[in-house]
Amino acid sequence: MKKRPADVIFSVYCWLVYAFLLTPIFIVVLASLNAGNFLTFPPQGLSFRWYVVFFENEVFRRAIVTSLWVATVATLISGCIGTAAAIYHVRYAGRAKEAVRLTMLAPLLLPEVLTAIALLFFVYSIGIGTRGMVGMVVGHVLLTLPFVFMNVSASLESFDPDWDLAARSLGAGRLMRFRRIMLPMIKPGVIGGCMFAFIISFDAFTISFLLKSVGTSTLPIQLFDYLRTNFTPEAAAVSSFSVALTLVVVIFTEKVLGLKIRRF
Amino acid sequence: MPVLRRANSPMLLFLPALLVLAVFLLVPYLNILVMSFRTPGQGIPYAPGWTFGNYTKFFSDWFFIGQMANTLWIGFATTLACLLIGYPVALQLARGSDRLRGLRYGIVLTPLLVGVVIRSYGWTILLGNNGVINRTLIGWGLIDGPLPLMYNGLGIIIALTHVLLPFMILPVMGAIQGIDPALGLAARSLGAGRSTVFRRVTLPLSLPGVQAGCILVFVLSVSAYVTPALIGGLRVKTVAVSVVDALIDTFQWPFGSAMALILSVVGGLCVLAFARATRMKWAAAR
Amino acid sequence: MTTVSLRSLTKSFGGPPVVDKVSLDIRDGEFVSLLGPSGCGKTTTLKLVAGFEWADSGTIQFDGQDVGSLPAEKRDIGMVFQSYALFPHLTVAQNLAFGLETRKTPRSEITRRSAAAMDTVQLAGLGDRYPRQLSGGQQQRVALARALVIEPRILLLDEPLANLDARLRDEMRDFIRQLQRRVGITTVYVTHDQAEALTMSDRVVVMFSGTVAQVGAPDDIYERPVSRAVAEFVGRVNRIPATVVATGPGSCRVRTYLGEVTLQQSTSAAVGHSVDVTLRPEAITLVAAPAEPGAARVVSASYGGGLIDYRVEVATGQTLHVQAFAATRLAVGTAVRLDIRNDSYWLLGSPP
Repeated sequence: MKKRPADVIFSVYCWLVYAFLLTPIFIVVLASLNAGNFLTFPPQGLSFRWYVVFFENEVFRRAIVTSLWVATVATLISGCIGTAAAIYHVRYAGRAKEAVRLTMLAPLLLPEVLTAIALLFFVYSIGIGTRGMVGMVVGHVLLTLPFVFMNVSASLESFDPDWDLAARSLGAGRLMRFRRIMLPMIKPGVIGGCMFAFIISFDAFTISFLLKSVGTSTLPIQLFDYLRTNFTPEAAAVSSFSVALTLVVVIFTEKVLGLKIRRF
Repeated sequence: MPVLRRANSPMLLFLPALLVLAVFLLVPYLNILVMSFRTPGQGIPYAPGWTFGNYTKFFSDWFFIGQMANTLWIGFATTLACLLIGYPVALQLARGSDRLRGLRYGIVLTPLLVGVVIRSYGWTILLGNNGVINRTLIGWGLIDGPLPLMYNGLGIIIALTHVLLPFMILPVMGAIQGIDPALGLAARSLGAGRSTVFRRVTLPLSLPGVQAGCILVFVLSVSAYVTPALIGGLRVKTVAVSVVDALIDTFQWPFGSAMALILSVVGGLCVLAFARATRMKWAAAR
Repeated sequence: MTTVSLRSLTKSFGGPPVVDKVSLDIRDGEFVSLLGPSGCGKTTTLKLVAGFEWADSGTIQFDGQDVGSLPAEKRDIGMVFQSYALFPHLTVAQNLAFGLETRKTPRSEITRRSAAAMDTVQLAGLGDRYPRQLSGGQQQRVALARALVIEPRILLLDEPLANLDARLRDEMRDFIRQLQRRVGITTVYVTHDQAEALTMSDRVVVMFSGTVAQVGAPDDIYERPVSRAVAEFVGRVNRIPATVVATGPGSCRVRTYLGEVTLQQSTSAAVGHSVDVTLRPEAITLVAAPAEPGAARVVSASYGGGLIDYRVEVATGQTLHVQAFAATRLAVGTAVRLDIRNDSYWLLGSPP
């Protein structure tokens, strides 16, 4: 089949857009390998020295640990709450289905900055302020809830209600049905949703920025602060590390998930 | 007949999420509303008493009105850019061959997975006077002096478009995927060529997705903080940036709240107007 | 084995009742079909018996024991779904084992019984396959095996053959019936296909709009329908206007344009009143006749293999359906004479 010129133009155009999408990230990674002292491009020789500087910087190290910790906690909470809500939404909501969906997607549709402000006032008004990172974790849960919900809902849409009836007809009680029928079916959705949640929480900035307690920092905040004053490629190294971490999470999840998906 | 009706226990599944959203989203938002009517304090976040002053302060100052107009303009421009740039990609993703599809889909999702600070940072490297784009163009002799791509609305629009493209591409792709392939075949059997099929079948039926994408991108661009903060610098600020400044830097909680609410309401009105205007033509395709 | 007894079962979903005071007694080992058009309440009735829905009022008893307050998982039923509902993430063997596991059967016995069940449905050796690797007919049989391996009290089937192609459907009809006879389990079968109901059942329950119109053996339903609705739903029927000429105990005489005939049924209609008399298409024999004015004429003929469906227009203008063996073929336009045996007529609505 001959490719018409319109097809070629279309194809090229799309590839240009993909390039557009990847360019800033690519640039950052490249800048991190800069042997020189400034954030310049093209780089003045290639070197890993900025990664070394970064790993020796205790401030950044602590920020990574904080980010990982917050992301894990938030993902666990969102994962449970969001999955339960998704099960309700797909199987039990009936006429309220659209209302439930809108409610669960609300944090996504509302401006993150507004949600952060609202939470800030809230934690001050109940007296705990930004101590103990409670506000931050809550904010991250709000941020990640819609993603878990959407993912699990999507995987549940293909859940045939007859499977549950069949299990009941065979004598299975609630717990057994959940464990042996529902859970295997939603596992891809739950894992996918949690993966998204983890990554989004790890990269979240605005909420973390407004709700962080004194003296603690997540990686994006630290990076942001650093960028305001410093111009060394250390920031690029930090960014590249973060991107690499995300990639590892995605690939790891794909490996775990990929095996399961092929089953059905 | 059953003694125990268990009709309500599935609700327990939804209860935790509902509680979390009610307590940590609904109540705090209402609190913002309340906060916006409080009297500003000196040196403390707010003082006792109530006033409309925060709102009048915003609307009586051309600076803020201009900032609002600028923010809205950035929103419209970003939405339009995302639509024009993203629609063909959505089309390709929805219809294309399966071999590269996973890869393409992954690329579309990368901005979401990389974190807004890193993305914006990448754009600062690209857009600055000494940045990649300018250096390359000057180096190739295409321009004499650097193009002003940073610290202005244009830079913000470019960076925001990059960030928000997935939010346009995914809903449009979803809508196009939902079109019954038999419709295209039917049109071709009636003599329609490829462009006619696109114009009269695919495009109209994809409009609900376009509508959803436009609303999403607009809302997100108007309320964006990090990207305008980093790219706009101190010279160009959007309302969201001013809000955060007011709250964090100068502790003007009531005024900051009022500004935030005004932004939300104005943005919401734009969305409503848009939804209304496109309701008959676009939603009818559903 | 188990008897099932339904008394005045009623269920509505917020409007008029979908199941309206349905009462039924099913004998031990009987194969009963619930037959009716969509929306008649047959599936809801099945779900009430299964325990997937709670009745608004009425009782359900298995062997004299009220099970109405038990949920499905405690009623010891075996159910086959229209979509088979095989668990896609489990192998055939694991699917079969599922119901035995809920009953805490020891592993060795599970293996033994599953193997026996697979033999019974002629699927031996496919235990390690996943449902998606099986054909429609095979999946159907796995669903059957899964419902039977647990040796339930009753077997419930919800239009299980609806998703199979015609030839497979015929085979499976026989298969299910033989299997049921061999195992001897009380069975309730829901279908909208009257041919299915007639060939498979010991008794047929015809339902319209949530109520039972008629219960009886297949021949009762077909040859002696109690109402016009039943007559027209089960098979094709010709309705012939008639006038009562004479009545008597247990019999009556009516006049149709085909002549006068005595029926071995009593009627509550008075002499001179109109009644409806029905005639099945296969009860009419067509004989080619000289073309006289006022003679009946063949209007259409549809060849169906062994049988031909004719439409014949008679002097009164009515069109009758006639079914005949294809041995003799009558062309469209042929003038015909109608031969009808007296005992082929059936008077509708006569008191039992």
